[in-house]
Amino acid sequence: MITNPVNHAPVLKVESAAISYETRYGDVEAVRDVSFEVQRAETFGVVGESGCGKSTVAFGIVDFLGPNGKIVGGSVKFQGQELVGRTQAELRRLRGDQISMVYQDPMQALNPSVTIGDQLAEVLTVHRGISKSEAWDKSIRMLERVYMPDATNVMNRYPHQISGGQQQRVVIAMALLNNPALLIMDEPTTALDVTVEAVVLDLIEDLKRDFDTAIVYITHDLGVVARVCNYVGVMYAGEMVERGSVEAIYENPLHPYTQGLMRCVPKLGTTKEGSILYPIRGRVPAPKDRPKGACIFAPRCDYATDRCYNEHPLLREIELAHSARCFYSEQIDAGAWRPPEGLVPDLAPATEEASREPIIRVEGLKTYYEQESKSLLSLVGAGEKLYVKAVDDVSLEVPPGKTLGIVGESGCGKSTLAKTIIGLESPTAGDAKFLGFDVTSPVSERDEKLIQELQMVFQNPDSTMNPSYTVGQQIGRPLRRFGTVPSDKAREEVVRLLNAVRLDGSYYDRLPRQLSGGEKQRVGIARAFASQPDLVLCDEPVSALDVSVQAAVLNLLLELQRQHGLTMMFIAHDLSVVRFFSDYVAVMYLGHIVEFGPAEAIYAPPYHPYTEALLSAVPIPDPRAEQKHIRLSGTVPSALNPPSGCVFHTRCPRRDVLPDGGEICQVEVPSWRYNTEEHRIFCHIPLEELRKMEAVVTTTAGEGGD
Amino acid sequence: MFVKDYMTRHPVMVEPTMSVVEAQGIMAETKVRHLPVTGSGKRLAGLVTRERMRIPPTELASLNVWEITRLLSNLAVKDVMVKAEDVITIEPGATLEDAAQVMVENKIGCLPVLEEGVVVGIITEIDLMVQLGDLLGGRVTGVRVTVRVPDRIGEFAKITSAIASQGWGIYASGSVPTPKRPGYWDCVVKVQDVPKDELVAVLEKIEGHELIDVREC
Repeated sequence: MITNPVNHAPVLKVESAAISYETRYGDVEAVRDVSFEVQRAETFGVVGESGCGKSTVAFGIVDFLGPNGKIVGGSVKFQGQELVGRTQAELRRLRGDQISMVYQDPMQALNPSVTIGDQLAEVLTVHRGISKSEAWDKSIRMLERVYMPDATNVMNRYPHQISGGQQQRVVIAMALLNNPALLIMDEPTTALDVTVEAVVLDLIEDLKRDFDTAIVYITHDLGVVARVCNYVGVMYAGEMVERGSVEAIYENPLHPYTQGLMRCVPKLGTTKEGSILYPIRGRVPAPKDRPKGACIFAPRCDYATDRCYNEHPLLREIELAHSARCFYSEQIDAGAWRPPEGLVPDLAPATEEASREPIIRVEGLKTYYEQESKSLLSLVGAGEKLYVKAVDDVSLEVPPGKTLGIVGESGCGKSTLAKTIIGLESPTAGDAKFLGFDVTSPVSERDEKLIQELQMVFQNPDSTMNPSYTVGQQIGRPLRRFGTVPSDKAREEVVRLLNAVRLDGSYYDRLPRQLSGGEKQRVGIARAFASQPDLVLCDEPVSALDVSVQAAVLNLLLELQRQHGLTMMFIAHDLSVVRFFSDYVAVMYLGHIVEFGPAEAIYAPPYHPYTEALLSAVPIPDPRAEQKHIRLSGTVPSALNPPSGCVFHTRCPRRDVLPDGGEICQVEVPSWRYNTEEHRIFCHIPLEELRKMEAVVTTTAGEGGD
Repeated sequence: MFVKDYMTRHPVMVEPTMSVVEAQGIMAETKVRHLPVTGSGKRLAGLVTRERMRIPPTELASLNVWEITRLLSNLAVKDVMVKAEDVITIEPGATLEDAAQVMVENKIGCLPVLEEGVVVGIITEIDLMVQLGDLLGGRVTGVRVTVRVPDRIGEFAKITSAIASQGWGIYASGSVPTPKRPGYWDCVVKVQDVPKDELVAVLEKIEGHELIDVREC
């Protein structure tokens, strides 16, 4: 393809920008010396862990920094115009006409009490001064442009009446109505399910091409960056440490931090060994603790020398259009990197378990929530009862010492299944046995011994810790309750547990607010392990954590599992994490398990059509990886009124292979097809047909190699 | 080949109230020669060019340095711009030759592209030249031949079929009436990945055609 040879000036040019926040400790420099350019129809990705200043950069461009934030140096030029030092009134004009923003949470950008149509049309009537009816028509056309199903009717709905993915499409449509020259997107897909995310990312690609918009894309997800960005800037502790084209950054990362990030992202490799994670030791320093006159990454760097501690490196061009902020980029060979002692847990399997008798066996488990009916009859108890079938006829078993991963989109019943087993929800029907004991009773009626053996690690450590109890008290409580150790040994045991999760004894007297997210989650894990349980349920234990911390927590969980011969059920929406972590995988859709089997079998054909779609939606942190393009239409149907026959038939992309376009799927509930004794698929399509599918992901690079 | 495909979307624009000095700075920074002036909602208010912002030499001679500075600092874009009603514009759906025609007739170098009064792009003589070059394959290497053919239906097809029969592909082509030779057309074709001699041999066989020029470029 021939590109336009006319040399256009960049739409956005940021030069040595520095941004500070005024705090009561004085000015804190959140971002310093950040430079980059964005051309028309190009996406520049700003990637980094939380607290690295990504969002500050985005807000700084349009001076949305709030009353205490200010740009203290450098320049931000938009279409040749300096933005730094403009009045708010001038900026407001520019933002409305030429710069748009899309934020992480669509619900915060939409007014819940105004219909979508009114909100969209308002953009045009206010900024363009065109008539209401014309604006309405234009808004419908734009909604259709962002692939909104049933756009005309969506205009009359309120934001809460459409799904999260559709909300984000409305926000994107709103941002594009004024045909902006620059679009700033701050984690626009982070709150979305992987299948929805895939559709939104496709949309962003299309729009960039058709509207020639320059996009600044902020994200923590290296997989997303690889899919949508042309150029990438890697941020660390307020500085841009590496900048280059997406291919250059992924194939040949030059900065030790970027190399470290690549090593701690779970990859969708075909073997478990190929997906070992190597966390970066230490943590991101807080803005006020950043070293001055030294390399900010030096304390965590494997290659640091005296020079790194005494001199601040500059971002310099090492290859053509590929820069890094490191003194030794030319010398460092990422391929020769070997993990330092103790970084990677011993992942050798525990001694082969004596019995294959499953530790937990669930059969035909159903958990229904009763729904208030709106009919008058129900007031007198005569109305027909409606149920949300959160978990519907689930059967599974886990052998001792193994890990079962449960994956699916949000609302598929993963968490309800876990809560039912742990006793926080009561099953409607079915049977669940743990070590032969019945576990269908609520937790309040359970024997203390049973509670002790069944523990849980929660998704959000903040909401599961008492903010006014010290870490020692939190972990000590189960010890005292279950009498695991004599009470005079409790403190010793807590310290031992803290050490096991790589925290030292000084954490004993700290309060939760004094810990970082990763540390809190470690305390949560230590608490779950305090009672020496046999089965631990982990409900999205790492999804709120940064990648480098996530890698450390996952490795820790694996290590503890090996040491104690634990059984785990691991719930996640991230298929690459599950791949790395599990021996068995259950794929759930709308309360049903649709595929169950050993992890290797799940990630290779034959697939259930839903598993195939999930896999093809996962963003892969490798721009060269080839991935089949399967996108699910629509959203997960309501569990209140699930589709007849096969629950997946309304969205199934593979129905056509069956005679009559898959009529049987609408009518008849499929039965299990056994690919092997352990691997089963819940589908009408014969196995021979499913086996013909090609693998969804093919990476050209060697497995596990960087 | 429509204007909307070859125009520059999101052109650099200025506001009517901006000072001329600042607008000159933007021109220098972004290396553009024409700035559409827009009010609220990107509606066209006018157009400024480099010439427009120059002080006429006759006036310049009568001013001293301080007066020039004062004159410039008080001057806003709206004082020097061509007003919207006098700006010649074009629609995104127009063809490139339409755009060329309009520019030639009015002897101007750029056309703001308007959709319902809103500036959606700008197309300049440079954009047209890029397309002229690409039309004749100026940016790819290959053998470029110029053939003079009689003004009759089917003559150009003889060239294309002769080339196609050899399994070669024409990358670019164009033909114009031969200057000062009524009754003849000059056809230019660019063929990639072909030995020059073989191509010449094939084209020379065609009756009534004259090979004016062959070059590898």
